[in-house]
Amino acid sequence: MTGEAHLGFACFGGTVTIHVRGESAAAGQRAAGEAQDRLLEAHQRLSRFLPEGELSRLNRDPRPLVPASPLLLELARAVRTAGEYSGGLVDATLLGEIEHAGYCESLGAERPVSLAEALASRAERAPAGPAPAARWRTVEVDAQAGAIMRPPGLRIDGGGIAKGLLADLVAAGLGESRAFAVDCCGDLRLGGAAGQPRRVLVEDPFGGGPLHELALREGAVATSGIGRRCWRGPEGRVAHHILDPRSGEPAFTGLVQATALASSALVAEAYAKAALLSGPERGAEWLPCGGVLVGEDGGVEVVAATEALVSQAVGR
Amino acid sequence: MDSIEKQQRKREARRRLRAQRERAGRLRGRVVASSLIVFALLWGGVFIQMATGNDPVLGNRPASAAGPPRGGRGKAKAASGAGEASAPAEAEAAEAPVIEPEPAPVTTGQS
Repeated sequence: MTGEAHLGFACFGGTVTIHVRGESAAAGQRAAGEAQDRLLEAHQRLSRFLPEGELSRLNRDPRPLVPASPLLLELARAVRTAGEYSGGLVDATLLGEIEHAGYCESLGAERPVSLAEALASRAERAPAGPAPAARWRTVEVDAQAGAIMRPPGLRIDGGGIAKGLLADLVAAGLGESRAFAVDCCGDLRLGGAAGQPRRVLVEDPFGGGPLHELALREGAVATSGIGRRCWRGPEGRVAHHILDPRSGEPAFTGLVQATALASSALVAEAYAKAALLSGPERGAEWLPCGGVLVGEDGGVEVVAATEALVSQAVGR
Repeated sequence: MDSIEKQQRKREARRRLRAQRERAGRLRGRVVASSLIVFALLWGGVFIQMATGNDPVLGNRPASAAGPPRGGRGKAKAASGAGEASAPAEAEAAEAPVIEPEPAPVTTGQS
């Protein structure tokens, strides 16, 4: 039996890795290469940091109905899906707010402000809430016309939603492989015809070794946290990229990281972010398929996988 | 009863006793032979299965790995689908006895 083909490359402002075991070594490498091409092309289309990308052009377009590629249509649908699954806590229309907080260009792997500094800079802790305007509800897809409808001026930020969506889309093309894993910067989609469990290590946001380990045959895992992208804003205030949709400000809820399991990476991403934004008191309510919460004090809360995923998730 | 008749009865009793012992011996022999044949057939079957590479323990059996995440606070129920999934997996294992290496671990973290 052949080993897995592994590919790692920079994409979506982080590192994407693809693992594929095909019927032969060449088949695995070919499938991984095709997945890489698809992800890099998607990055070109969906990055808000590329002015000529399709998403940036959509955000600038003054028309209420804008023709879009199938991928951008999928992203628009994903905006609605994430908003609905998270009760509005995952709002992809907060691009103006995130730019106001100082996130105007890709931060890449750099970490200008540490997590400890960020936590020390703010005293208040409160759960986030959905924006009353719920602008994400105004994003609609006209499938027949192949176009996106939204009020002109409304801008979309793919963010974590795009990573989860792409993990799902790429995984759909790898279903015939013996085993595969698509890791879009922490948003994972796993599966394969062999049905073998794959170990999933949950990273410790404070550094050190993995703080939890799962094994999944099929499904998705996503992690959201405030530690990786912290910076000092225009007024010197420390900010991060997880915004409270209600206030439009970076959310400090008492949780620093949430990991969620789900059947798709997009939904896992929505659950993880909603859990993080809900804080330690109510975060677990957003993990119906299981997950892991990490508090500011480093405390770890593991929420057991429910029946739907127990047959796929194995605790260690 | 005279002594001749007595001796005849004794002989008859010994004959019957001998016949009974012989029957018991034959029966015991058949039981032992049958056991040996069944034993040999069973182990022969196992030998053939293992020799052809169809070790059922090494097959892909999802049920063996099912369980909740460690330290879960909710009650994790037994996997209802695992048993259903194991039947085709065993059939597949019987057809394709190749052992696949464990997939590489992956890490989920903040992006």
